[in-house]
Amino acid sequence: MFSFTKEQKIFDISGISIGGQPGMYPTVLFGGVFFKGEPDFDDAKRHIQTILDISKQTGTPTIPDFFIRKVEYIQPIISFIEKVLPRKYPFSIDIIEPSIKVKTLERLAEEKLLSRTIYNSIHIGITKEEIEALQNNTPEMVIVVAFNPKNKSPDGKIEVLENGAHLTESGLLEIAHKLGIEKILVDTAALAPGENSGAAIAAIPVIKEEYGLPTGCAIHNVVEKSRWLNDFPLAKKTVDVASNNAIPLFGGNFAIFGPIENAELVIPLIAWQDILVSEYTENYFGVTPVASHPRRKLLK
Amino acid sequence: MAEDYYPWGGEFTACSPNGCVAVVLLNIQYTPPESVAIYGRLKTENIGIEKIVANTISNPYIRFLVICGDDIRGHRSGSSLLALHKNGIDSNHRIIDAPGAIPYIENLKEDAIKRFQDQLNIVDLLGEKEKEKIDKIIADCTRKSSSSYGEPYIAIRIKPETTVSLTDKRALHSKIIIDYMGNVRKRGE
Repeated sequence: MFSFTKEQKIFDISGISIGGQPGMYPTVLFGGVFFKGEPDFDDAKRHIQTILDISKQTGTPTIPDFFIRKVEYIQPIISFIEKVLPRKYPFSIDIIEPSIKVKTLERLAEEKLLSRTIYNSIHIGITKEEIEALQNNTPEMVIVVAFNPKNKSPDGKIEVLENGAHLTESGLLEIAHKLGIEKILVDTAALAPGENSGAAIAAIPVIKEEYGLPTGCAIHNVVEKSRWLNDFPLAKKTVDVASNNAIPLFGGNFAIFGPIENAELVIPLIAWQDILVSEYTENYFGVTPVASHPRRKLLK
Repeated sequence: MAEDYYPWGGEFTACSPNGCVAVVLLNIQYTPPESVAIYGRLKTENIGIEKIVANTISNPYIRFLVICGDDIRGHRSGSSLLALHKNGIDSNHRIIDAPGAIPYIENLKEDAIKRFQDQLNIVDLLGEKEKEKIDKIIADCTRKSSSSYGEPYIAIRIKPETTVSLTDKRALHSKIIIDYMGNVRKRGE
């Protein structure tokens, strides 16, 4: 449980605040909405209602992260967002293919949804076309992934943020700033076991002290890649969910926790962890939790 | 000797140590025959490819690399692996003409890539998912097996240099100091 000397930025998107000193704002969760094959919107609708309900009850904001893997899914998913999410509720879009990123940004602009959009993500693979698309259709907030294939330590992660580690022409933060994007979340890029997986957690306080930006990661990916856990299916689920705890404990502000189906387990867990952090940081550092914090909502 | 092969680990199954075929599985449900030396899934166009290169060149008996299944969306890992074998990497360590999102080879020396290009014959079955066809091609490769390439090549990971030595053993990282109560500040300020 930490307090940072560097001033910690707080960014708001559609009423959800991310960042700040540990214990002030609740940890923000991102739950992945993945569609295998044709999108099953009934299922997704149920899960979104669940996160809205549990988030309201606990105070832990949860944002749906839509994974778009085919061009023909862009429109149905955007229509779904408009129809099912509460008006003005934020969402993120997680797209790998640069050409789909470009088309999705265009459609989001046409539907006037960019002010609610968290772009997941900018990384060293950014293309000229993507930069151009982001210039023309700029989302409100971006996740910048500090993945450095050469140096997976916190230093390597800072290197790509700072100067692009010779993989991009300039640092990823500069790229985002030049696009006019100030609301930047730093994802510390959790990698597989054997690839310095722990660095994603250690990098959280390092990056927060360096830049003061909201920081987090998808630490559950490390669990997914821990093949030996397949021999312990019950434990694997527990570890997958519990892995997210490390993020607020190390001062992080957001967790990308994997499939939205796990929300019922992850949201209360993180609310619990946030209460623990807040009790210490208020008592020792004088950080007052906001009214929506789980500690204020759940402990009467 | 066989237990010394495949030093970089990863998600693979080792079968016949003297087999001449390694199989890369992309988007495909398929289990290669036991006669192959090794098979496994490729997901990422950077670390995943590095592991394939390092592991295959560690076993000189492997002379064919069969790449099968639909390519991985976005990552285009299969096509990027083909590009590495064909073109190598540029001065920025980017695989030349690779279509993947982040196709960088940062942890292997050029020698290792050269060895990969020389030792392995690529069998491009990108998009192929039919078991019978792939089985037959693997059997063909096994029949025309060339001899061992020579000595195993054990690729060393290029490690980032450590630039600091810390005297404070409790430190989490060289850039910050955390006091015993949890207050974080930049080291040296």
